[in-house]
Amino acid sequence: MIPFIRTFFFRKTALMFLIFGVTLTGCVHVAPWERGNLAKSQMEIDPFPLQSEIQAHNYSSREAAPSHKSSSGGGGCGCY
Amino acid sequence: MLVAVDLKVTNLQRKRRLKKHNYQHQPDYPDLPSVKPRNSTLQALTSAALVLPGLLMSSGHAAGPDRINFQYSRYQEGERNLYGVPQSLKPITADVLHGSGIFSITDRTRFTFSYTQDTWSGATPVTTAPLAANSNNPVSRNTDSGSVIVGASPFINSKFLLLDHDLNPIGKDPITRESTGAIDTRSVLVMSSASPETRNQANFGLSREWNEATFNIGGGFSSERDYQSTFGNIGGRVDFNQKLTSLKYGAGYTDSQIGAILDHDASPYITKNAFAGHIEERGGSEILKGKRHDWVGNLGITQVLNKNALLDANFSYTHSSGYLENPYKVMTVIFVDPAELNNNRNTLITGDVRALLEQRPDSRNQFAFNAKYIQYINALNAALHLGYRVSADDWGINTHTFDASWVQPLGGGWMLTPRIRYYSQDSASFYRPYLFSMQSYSKQEIDSLGRQIWFNEKNPTIQYFGSDQFNLVDQNGNPVDPFSANPVPKTIAYDAGKLPENFSSDHRLAGFGALSGGVTLSKLIGRGIALEAGFEYYTRASSMQIGGGNSSFADFDYYVANAALKFDMEPSNPPLAGGRSSHHHDSSSHHHKLPPAGIMFGHMLDKPGDFMAGYRYMHNWTNGSMMHGDHQISDQTIVAQGCSDAAPCRFTPTFMNMSMHMLDLMYAPTKWLNVMLMPTFMTMDMNLRELTGRPSSTTETHEHSGIAGHETGAVGDTYLSSLVRLLDIPGHRMHINLGLSAPTGKVDIKLRRVFRIDGGLIHFGMQQGSGTWDFMPSLTYAGEYNRWSWGAQFGGIKRLESQNKSGYRLGDTIQATSWVGFDINRWLTASVRGAYTWQDAIHRDFNQFNARIGPMDFPSNYGGQFWDVGFGLNAAVPRGRFAGNRLGFEWIQPVSNDFNGFQLDRKGALAATWSYQF
Repeated sequence: MIPFIRTFFFRKTALMFLIFGVTLTGCVHVAPWERGNLAKSQMEIDPFPLQSEIQAHNYSSREAAPSHKSSSGGGGCGCY
Repeated sequence: MLVAVDLKVTNLQRKRRLKKHNYQHQPDYPDLPSVKPRNSTLQALTSAALVLPGLLMSSGHAAGPDRINFQYSRYQEGERNLYGVPQSLKPITADVLHGSGIFSITDRTRFTFSYTQDTWSGATPVTTAPLAANSNNPVSRNTDSGSVIVGASPFINSKFLLLDHDLNPIGKDPITRESTGAIDTRSVLVMSSASPETRNQANFGLSREWNEATFNIGGGFSSERDYQSTFGNIGGRVDFNQKLTSLKYGAGYTDSQIGAILDHDASPYITKNAFAGHIEERGGSEILKGKRHDWVGNLGITQVLNKNALLDANFSYTHSSGYLENPYKVMTVIFVDPAELNNNRNTLITGDVRALLEQRPDSRNQFAFNAKYIQYINALNAALHLGYRVSADDWGINTHTFDASWVQPLGGGWMLTPRIRYYSQDSASFYRPYLFSMQSYSKQEIDSLGRQIWFNEKNPTIQYFGSDQFNLVDQNGNPVDPFSANPVPKTIAYDAGKLPENFSSDHRLAGFGALSGGVTLSKLIGRGIALEAGFEYYTRASSMQIGGGNSSFADFDYYVANAALKFDMEPSNPPLAGGRSSHHHDSSSHHHKLPPAGIMFGHMLDKPGDFMAGYRYMHNWTNGSMMHGDHQISDQTIVAQGCSDAAPCRFTPTFMNMSMHMLDLMYAPTKWLNVMLMPTFMTMDMNLRELTGRPSSTTETHEHSGIAGHETGAVGDTYLSSLVRLLDIPGHRMHINLGLSAPTGKVDIKLRRVFRIDGGLIHFGMQQGSGTWDFMPSLTYAGEYNRWSWGAQFGGIKRLESQNKSGYRLGDTIQATSWVGFDINRWLTASVRGAYTWQDAIHRDFNQFNARIGPMDFPSNYGGQFWDVGFGLNAAVPRGRFAGNRLGFEWIQPVSNDFNGFQLDRKGALAATWSYQF
């Protein structure tokens, strides 16, 4: 394994993430008729996807972090 | 994130969906409580909608109605700090046009596409250097008031950098270049400008929904002059636990080919030794070739925490390999002769400043984890979004991003969303602003006896030895005649092994922090139309890095403004088996015939309150021979007559293509009046060749060199129009169009400065608009009988101002056209059209410098008289999922031309339209 992963967040965070997720799935119960607020557009994970695309493109051409949109591919060189 | 689609469900669609499912589909969900207290009716409706597949997780997924989106955005960077050197180079700007759509193929299968075009230009850093190296070399011009510094030119090699014995640079005034005598350790970005370049990207996708899962597959390509990518991806979602938990997965692969044309002017000053095997010579240009592969995988979970909160978390891994460098970035390496270090400590050392192509590792592994918490705020009906992202890679770059936004509905369909973001990254392990190397950049080779080696310039296999050019011996020890021997020192380059394996001065790999904030305003206009506008300001500073940084030379800021229009194409009722759908689309087959696609302002909406949205694309080809009047012309004639007596032509175009994207928005306040708004986006692409028999170049003239052509692309002029109905009797209609063209397109686009010579304004035909307010009237008549339709239009363009801000105005235009159409079947119409166009030459001339290198730079070589024939097809989808959509295509074939002056031959034009009436 590449050393930096071990030393970095991978172990702890991933483990916490897993425990957190498993715990939650088990105990949460929100009945369908209680989900009115969750269905509102302001509660969407990405309420403005057109804009997010542009923001992600700008950030990835100016910052070194992996692109948020990387799995969809594209984006070009960003050589400027 | 998992799908390359920009779609979402808005409030309005949700309401519609709720209604629809309540009244039509409720029996499908017998598990829902059928009786609830009255005050929870809404909750019951909502819950009915919620158990539908994909509703809760609609973001980024193929849910909701069919939809078309258009978006324009502009990126504008601020000036970089050059410590007082005037910046005539404009900072980077990028204009981005985006269109996307989603269409249902079956109830649960959808097709998605998107198209993005961006054009950028401006000054960009090529390297970092000590300020004392004077790398942004002031450019002066002689004016009436003496020599004035007008800007800076990149100067990436220098033998005048003085250092003390601890290698601290001795300062020099950035403008006068006089030594200050004091140590100056400041660094500066070295800026170079670029003429506009355009990138096109297309994405396609298919998605399939099940009750508790989705799967999607997609792919596409991105194409720009120096970089081609193709990519593919899969992804999806699985719901558990009554949709309270969703697992998301995705994977993608991108294959990229780099073919970077190295800057013709900078290339002689760039050391390319490390990439010698990657560089090809073609047409006088050096092309750096490379391949790159990117693999990405991600896994995520969305968890409902309670009825007012949810959490979304994702983990992603990206593996990149191949040529990961930026081909235009160089590393400033200061070579210091070690012998100089042995001198007296008080003597200054001379640094030999060189520019080496940057060298990054051949692979990169990036890990990222992000989490988003979304909380509904009951009291304000708002939502708070909190996000955190962390990433790490094996280049040593760790990043942290925090962002927060507040999504606040305001009533009346308005929504306001302020947003703030903080980002911090560590620098890459191989990032350095510049490097020192304790060796000579090149030195004379020494043989085993300690003698300097020379060779015969005319026959390099013959070697000589000795310290003095006039006192050399050959390999047998015999003295040689210095005049017949042509001795030249045999040099060897620096030892690359003494440099680090990887190095880059790209400031994006440096450590820094960035703070940005912005606001998004959206408004549902009704009838499935939504408007969205956003603004973001971003500022980057070394000092904002977590832990703090202290090198401010690369600090900069930018802003982005964008506007989007979104159209839902939801049929009022889903089509029923054997029956007709809504009255709305039922009427579509009774709509009047549309004129051929190449005709603008050719029809009106019939009913007050009707709204039509459309997209119009026109592509115009000119290439091949140069024409004068109606005949071909030789290079010699163009050289002699095409330009001016003082400056004969040196170049001529080989091709020029123009495309125009236009959004058609049309509304009928009354039956007799329609109003239209048509924003346009233009792109132009051309290349030049040298004329045979051209005069030779002089030092003060702009030369077009290398194989690269020119591209421009940005917002064009915007048309505003009123259409007034004059006649409407069965079979015959007539209307008049009173249109105005607003000068929103640029007319001052410049070519980059080359070898300290300004490129000046780019050719008339490559500017994006007219630059003047223009009056565009037209009169249209249309008739129809049974399967036949016919019509005529007479129109023109009258420029309302005598000149634009660049000093000229385009010629006025008159056009007359007439067509006949025949219905091949119920939904398809074929048409034939004849058109005559008269266009005046350009009046006046550029009021700023233009290089005047060929006929396209002279106003009299524009306009003429043109006779064309058009062959068109119009389709109106009468029923089914795409009912109400209309498509049109027309090929316009030139038949006869009478060109003013000297111009490229016209090869034809394609017009394509899509429209949808609400």
